Parts: sequence; C-alpha cells; structure tokens
Amino acid sequence: MNILTMLWKNLWGGSRTMMFPARPKVTAGYRGMVRFDPALCTGCAICRFRCTARAIEFKAGKGEFTWSYDPGQCTFCGRCVEGCKAHAISQVSDCPPIYLTIGELKKSYTVARKPPAPKPTPVVQAAPASPATKSFPGGAQ
Amino acid sequence: MNLITALARFLIFPGLLFAIPAAWFFLWVERKAVALMQGRVGPPFMQPFFDFIKLLGKTTPPRTGIAGLLMRLWPLLAVSAAAGAVGLLPVLPSSGGFEGDLILLLALLELPSMCIIAAGFSSRSIFGEIGSAREAVLSVSYNVVFLLAIVSIAASQHTFRLEALAHLPASPLQILGVVAILFCLPAKLHLNPFSLPNAEQEIYSGPMTEYAGPELAMWELSHGLEWVAATGLVATLAAPHFTTWWLAALVFIAISFGVVLLLSIVASATARLQIDTTVRFYWQCTLIFAVLAISSALFMRFRS
Repeated sequence: MNILTMLWKNLWGGSRTMMFPARPKVTAGYRGMVRFDPALCTGCAICRFRCTARAIEFKAGKGEFTWSYDPGQCTFCGRCVEGCKAHAISQVSDCPPIYLTIGELKKSYTVARKPPAPKPTPVVQAAPASPATKSFPGGAQ
Repeated sequence: MNLITALARFLIFPGLLFAIPAAWFFLWVERKAVALMQGRVGPPFMQPFFDFIKLLGKTTPPRTGIAGLLMRLWPLLAVSAAAGAVGLLPVLPSSGGFEGDLILLLALLELPSMCIIAAGFSSRSIFGEIGSAREAVLSVSYNVVFLLAIVSIAASQHTFRLEALAHLPASPLQILGVVAILFCLPAKLHLNPFSLPNAEQEIYSGPMTEYAGPELAMWELSHGLEWVAATGLVATLAAPHFTTWWLAALVFIAISFGVVLLLSIVASATARLQIDTTVRFYWQCTLIFAVLAISSALFMRFRS
C-alpha cells in the first residue's frame, strides 16, 4: 500500500522535472568546470597530455601558444588540474554546461610565451695555488 | 450486417477513422498517467501522433528474401487485425453484429500477439527470439483465464453475439468475468508487471529490436489499437444498456478511459515479474477463476 500512497502524493505533488533553463544543484562528488588562467600558464601542455577526454587542445606557435577547452567534451575528472604545476588550471563547481551544437562552448586562449628567465651567469673564481707547484727563487739549480 | 454496414464499421466508426485517434489518445493517457504518478512531466498531448509521423518518415534497413517480406507483413497484419477487432465492438446500441462475432473478436484480438511472436522469430535477432519465446509462454498462460472468462459469460447466456452480451443485466458471473479479463489485460498489452516480452532494459524491446521506421510505426499503431479493442471489450461487458446512442457512446468511452487509468496505476505501482512467476500467477488465477465460475454458474442455476 505504501507504493499507492507514494503514487497518490506524486500525482498531486507536481513533477520534479526541472524545466529549462533551471538547473539542478551540483552534488558534492562533482569536481566542477575547468577554469583557465592565461597569466599563470607556462605553456608546458601537460594538461593536454593528461586529458583523456580530449577536451583540451594545445597548439604551439612562434612566440605564442593557443590553449582551447571544450566543456562539452570534458568529463570533469580533474587530471589536468592535478598535473598543472603552475596552478593555471582550477575547477569551479558550476553546473555542467548546456549546449545545442558540438563545439559551441569551446573557448580558446592565445597566450604569448613568456621570455625564458635569464640564466644565472657562472661566477669565475681564482683557483688556489697548488702546493705541488712550488716556485723556487733563484731559478734552476 | 450487410457489406456496407460492415465496411462503415471497419473504416469509420468504431473502426479506423475513430480507432486511430482513440489509439493515440489512449497511448498518451497511459504514458501521461504513469509519468504523473512517477513525478515526471510526461509527454505532450500530440506526442504519440508525432512519434507515428516521425517514424513514417524514416527509412527501414534493406531486407531481402522471404524473411524480409514476412518482417514487413507482420506489422500490417497486426494493424489490420486490431482495427478489425475494434470495428466489431458494439459501441452504439443496435449496431448490428452477427452470431459468433465474439469468436471472431477473440481471434482478431489474439492475432497481433501471434504476429509479434512470428516477427521476433523472423528477425533472427537473439533478443527478438527471446522476446518472442516469452510472448508465446505469456500468451499460453494468460489466454486460459482470458478465454475462460469470456466463454463462461457467453455460454451462460447461450449466445456468442457481442450485442447480446452487451445488453446483459449484471450477474455475479459477469462481474467475475470482467475482473478476470482485467487481470489479463496487463499481459495482453505488455504492461508492468507482465511486460517481460518487450523488456527494454533486458532484451531491448524483444521482438521489436530489429524494427525501425514505418514498420515500427505500424507496430505502435497496432499496440494502440489493441488498447482500444481490449478496453472496449471490458466496456462492452461492463457498461449498462442505454437506448440513446450518445449516452451509450459516452459511457463506453468513459469506462474505456477508466480501464486505461486503472492499468496505468498498476503499471506504475509494480515492477516487472520473471517469466516463471508470471506463468505461476496466471495458472493460479485460472484455477481460482474456474472454481468461482463453476460456483457462480451453479448459484445462478439454483436461483433461476
């Protein structure tokens, strides 16, 4: 009889289906959408290699690189975030996005490569005199 | 019933012209009622019609040989049989009919089920064959109760004419028969808890697995027409007799609608049963109904 009571309540309680554009709350287990900070990115492309869903694309150019992210393909696994040493990628717990055409949500960032940090110049120090080489005053004997 | 009347009943009312919109309406009522009871929104009113039109516009996979021909033939045969069954229903008072039309109705009601069995085996799909085997076992199980219920009512009145049965005064045997038919309808219409021949999650809709496009549209239509015919049969037996045609038609439609709602409640309140449980259930039903029918017949004889 419990099932009939439940059906009766459902019948008069309205539907639980959320109509678009309302979105459901995200669950605690959901890691969230990937956010990219171009200022911090070093262009190492480790995120692209770690992305098994192929949501991240990386194109290297002369003096710059293009980083693209397609949330429609992303599985929100967080492997790119784990791999980013420069902390340029993070995750925010927004709802998974809605899209009607493939690639609609894709975002590209073209970032200028930072000039490499100047290499530290090696400090030349005078070699200490060897005790074996002893000069003898007076010349040859 | 002359040829013109028969054609008018088959093609216009309560045949194809009435029955096809009624089939879509009943399919919508069932889907909507189940959705509302499960806390969902459910399909819009025109959805069964849209589904039908969309399927008609799709292409079917090329099929060659006798098996291909048979696969195209089964849905058409099922639609024709179900439409014929609806056409035989005595919706209006003094609508004609002939002696033995109940037997024809029972045969036509059974034909779509036979077509489904044959279609599953013709498709040579493992899921289709499993579905067909299940449908065959189910058909053997529920038909014993179904036929016993109808034949006992008809035999008690010494007639196999539908119109005569529609005008019967209420009797314990008639009520018992209607209840027994109601028990069989979920199996006949492949609803929960007896939806195992077309189990979507287990065998991908069973005999329908290999069907697409207009052929699948015909199967959907035959399913809707089966709804109209089966609920109409209950309405024929359960509706009180009215002489005014509009009141008779209204009561007929109201009872059919009530049966659809009842079946929807059962479908949403239950889960799919296993085949052995289903068979056991129907054979136990048969036993109980046989005992009750004989007791009721004896009671009626002593009373009269």
